[in-house]
This record gives sequence, structure tokens and C-alpha cells, in this order.
Amino acid sequence: MKFIAVLRQVPDNEAKLKIEGGQVSLGGVTLILDGMDEWAVEEVIRLKEAHGGEAVVMALGPERFEEALRTALAMGADRAVHLVAEGYVDPISQAQHLAETIREEAPTLVFTGGQQADWDSQALGPALAEALGWPVVTWTTQLELEGETQAKAKHDLDEGAELVRVPLPAVFTSQQGLNEPRYPTLPGIMKAKKKELRKVPLSVQSKVEVLEQTIQERQRLNQVIDGSKDPVAAANQLIRLLHEEAKVI
Amino acid sequence: MAIDFTLSEEQKQLQALARRFAKEQIAPVAALYDAKEEMPWPVIEKLHGVGLLNAVIPEEYGGLGLSMVDEVILGEELAWGCMGIYTIAMASDLGITPVLLAGSSEQKERFLRKLTQKPSLAAFGLSEPGNGSDAAALRTRAVKSGDGYILNGSKTWITNGGDAEFVVVFATVNPEARHKGVVALVVDKGTPGFRAHKLHGKMGQRASATYELVFEECWVPAENLLGQEGDGFKLAMNTLDKTRIPVAAGSVGVARRALEESTKYAKEREAFGQPIAQFQAVQFKLAEMLMGLETARAYTYYAAWLTDQKLPQAHAAAIAKAYASEIAFDAANQAIQIHGGFGYMQEYPVEKLLRDVKLNQIYEGTNEIQRLIIARHILNS
Repeated sequence: MKFIAVLRQVPDNEAKLKIEGGQVSLGGVTLILDGMDEWAVEEVIRLKEAHGGEAVVMALGPERFEEALRTALAMGADRAVHLVAEGYVDPISQAQHLAETIREEAPTLVFTGGQQADWDSQALGPALAEALGWPVVTWTTQLELEGETQAKAKHDLDEGAELVRVPLPAVFTSQQGLNEPRYPTLPGIMKAKKKELRKVPLSVQSKVEVLEQTIQERQRLNQVIDGSKDPVAAANQLIRLLHEEAKVI
Repeated sequence: MAIDFTLSEEQKQLQALARRFAKEQIAPVAALYDAKEEMPWPVIEKLHGVGLLNAVIPEEYGGLGLSMVDEVILGEELAWGCMGIYTIAMASDLGITPVLLAGSSEQKERFLRKLTQKPSLAAFGLSEPGNGSDAAALRTRAVKSGDGYILNGSKTWITNGGDAEFVVVFATVNPEARHKGVVALVVDKGTPGFRAHKLHGKMGQRASATYELVFEECWVPAENLLGQEGDGFKLAMNTLDKTRIPVAAGSVGVARRALEESTKYAKEREAFGQPIAQFQAVQFKLAEMLMGLETARAYTYYAAWLTDQKLPQAHAAAIAKAYASEIAFDAANQAIQIHGGFGYMQEYPVEKLLRDVKLNQIYEGTNEIQRLIIARHILNS
């Protein structure tokens, strides 16, 4: 069996992004394997460990994506395929190019992140499935193979969850709770050096062109609740605001 | 075009792994183990799990054969999380190093392989209650007896001493001969006549356990002797010439943490209607911290590079160790100052930086001894 994880490299969630000349500048920013893709990588490694075969990681993106692929190799993936394309490529175009390579690989299944940490797009998984003509299960929290031809998966809905069965090959996207990803290990890092990382130069025409990027800036409300006179009323007001306005509780 | 400061791909990955490990596994528990003055075994197990413990052991004995530059990269990151926890791993390397330098391949196989197979530590036993900087004045006696030695005496300030799989113990077969009478013996954990007492009440680095070791009619087989009789003192000094560089790397990690915490706080804390980072008095402190950090890191890398190139490096290790621990102490001190009253409280992480890094000016040769080494280098070359 062959299990493929499609991954991307994104800025660390603590990165302070800057705009230069209407574009996000990544200079000086720490770039990491996207957290949701990391779940996908962990899942294909686990599938390979449980069922044998091969765990392959794949990415379409600029040269720097190699670091994220190396991280996945250090976690335990067997080999990597890097479709090298500089500049912005929209998820639909990404999916079309990735699909060609995936079809050649003929995997048992494909896993990718449920949502991209940088552009917040959730499109890549479904777009891959569309391009391949395979079923898709999004927001997967549990996956169980039933032989080589079908799988049972649990996935999140807005207000609950669903248990589904799909024929393989299929595309799955990850959701929190799927697994606890392992750290890459130092022996893994050293072994990764010797693993195959195949580069395929691509010239991709993105269907979407980014003209300008801006960072959303929000003013603080500077709302102060005075708790010195009536702390109970102040606490009630705080709870109400957190619930109704901030919607965090 | 010979000078090149870039890290290899593997070194970048090592740095990323160690940074993530320090942030997720060390920093969140650092204050807890400091308060409890307790060995963080769960952290040590995880360090072993990701391959970052005892990684200096060569591949042929089951380790990863890290270079000194690799160790420096690793040390800065782990010490950023907690200098005390990093000391546990660093002191294990300190115990491993004499075996690497003077052990036969049979000894390396026997002593080092087991350190790679489970989360376990080594230790280095040189200091005694009556000898610190004057290392050749050691009084622990080794008396030849049959096919081995009988040890009597005590050692103190021994990091990992009671937890280690083995301690490399420096003893004398002839006190009159001073340094020429020193032997290095590997004493396995559980050897009859060998006891370890944990020392309590340390100012900082409280997650690492420091022991007094007592040897009473403790028989050690001759096959545990590293090198020849009389080689021990030189071996101890050659070991420290290497392991001072990771101490410098740890100091760099503490200095970086001090600067990061100070920068964050200075941007958030307001006084007189603006963030205190707007004041030149604070800006100058931050600038001084970065000057110290960058120069100490660059020099520590240089000392590590010399070591990896097998070039003379004892003076460089001494400069790196003394300099980095001093700029780190200053950085921790200024970090408290920038934090004001909050900096003096354990609620913020900066007071611990100062308590921890004070030890970096003392252990593995006080900074005064480092200056002696540096001065000898000047006068003898």
C-alpha cells in the first residue's frame, strides 16, 4: 500500500508579518510545516507502520518548501516529491498539477491538511479529489482501513460528527484530534539526508493572480469594567460581554 | 571565500527540532522543577526519545556523533528553555568525553553503548570538598589491589552523580606526585562502597541534581582505568577544554532568553503614557544585550569550529566560556531591571535566568581559571 501526504510550508503562528510593496514579506520569518498538514504526515506514517508499504510526502511550492519536506522525512516518511513552483499558485491550479503526479504514484489514499494556516484556504483537499475523480472526506478525526479497497472514517460536522465509508483511493483532510504528531528525531534528521527527495520543476499558470495583500489591523476596544464598587455586577457584565460580544465562552 | 557562517540543512533541522523541544517540552515545566529542586525525568526521557541526549557518542557505539558545532546549536536552544535542565544533558556529555578521549574501543563499547539504549546519564567526578580550582590537589586515593584499585575519599558538586550509569572518578595513586599521580577510573552505578548524597539548597539550576560522592573501600576493576596511571590529570583538563564550549552555548541561550523576555515586556509595559521600549534608557539595555549575545554566539561557534577542525582550541574554549557566561549574567541582570518589581518575582521567568546563569561563571573552571588559561596562552606562545 502507498499513502501520500500533501503538505505545505507556512509562517510560524508567532511570526510577525510585514507588508512590503503590497506583498507579504517572509524575510526573517520562521517557516514551518503547516500544523494541519503535520497531522496528515503523522497519519500516513502511522498507516504505513500499521499496514506496511510506503509513506510518501508531496508538496507543490517554492524551493524553500524542501525544508518542510525534510521535516516530514525526519518524522519517518519514506521519500518526498517536490513540484517546484515559485510565486503564488491558487489551490485549484495546485490540485490539478499535484493530481497528475499522484495519479502516476497510484496511492491507496491521499491525506492533506483541513485548512491552510497562512491563507486559511480549505480548498486543496476537495480540489484534489475533484481533479482525481476520487471521493473526499474532510475534517477527518479517525480513519480505519478495511482492506485495500475501502476505509471507514469519522469526520467533524459543524454541530457533530459523521461516520462514513468510502471506496479507495480517496482523499482525506485532517482535523484536530486525528492524532498527536511525533517530533522529528535527530536520527530521523540524519537518515532523512539519505532519503529520496525528487524535484520536478514546474511552470504553473495560477488561475488567480494576487494584486495586493494587506494585513487586517484591529483597534482595541479599550473597554474597562470598573469592579471596585460592585464586583458581582462587574463579573456578570464581563461574562455577558465575553459570551455575547467576544463569543469566547 | 573560505569563511562561511551558514548551517547545513541537517543543522538547521537540528536547530528547529531543539528549539521546538525547548519551547514545548522544557520552558513550560522549567519553573516547576526549579521550585521542586527535582530531576525532570519525563523531560530526560523525551530528550532521549528524539535523540538529543548523549548524541555526542559516535555512531559506531550507537550514538549520533554530533560535532562540536552541532552541540553548540543544540545547547543554545535547550538552555533557552532552562539552563538547569540543559546542564543535565551537558554534564552527561562531560562524563562521556573522557571515555571518548582516552577509552579503548572495548571500553567505549562497554560504557557508551548503554547510554544510547535508554534514557540514562554519565557524570564527571573531579571536584572535592578541599579542591576546586586547584584540581591537582585531589585527595581521593586509589590503591592498586590485585586486578583493580580500591578507592577511598569523596567528591563534591558532581552533577548527575547519583543518577549516572557511571561516573568518571579522578583519584590519586600518589598524592606527592600531584598531577602526575592522577588516574581516571570509571565507576559503575551500584558499585559496592560507592554512595551518592544529593546536595540541596542550590541558588539556581535546581532541576539538575548535584551530588556528593563517597567512596569507602570501593573496588574498581583495572579494565575501568582510562589511559595509563598518571594520565588522569591531563585527561581531565583535555576534557574540560572541550566541554567548556557547550557551557558557553548554554550561556548564549540564557542571554537570548533574557533579551527576548525583555523585548516582549518593554513593548507591552507602559509608563508615562508610552511603552517603556520607547525610552532610550531601556533601548540601550536591549542594544547592549544584543551586542553581548551576538558576539558571544559568534565566538562560541568559532571555538566549536576550531575543535571540529582539530586545531588548538583550549584558549578559545576558555574565552568563550568566560565571555558568554559574563554577558549572559549581565543580560539576565538587565532583564530583571527592565522588568522592575515584576522581574524580582518568580511569576516572571527572568529572576531564574540570573540564578541559573551565575553557575555558568563557576562550574567547569571558574572564570578566574579561564583567565589563567588565556594568560598562559598569551605568555607561552
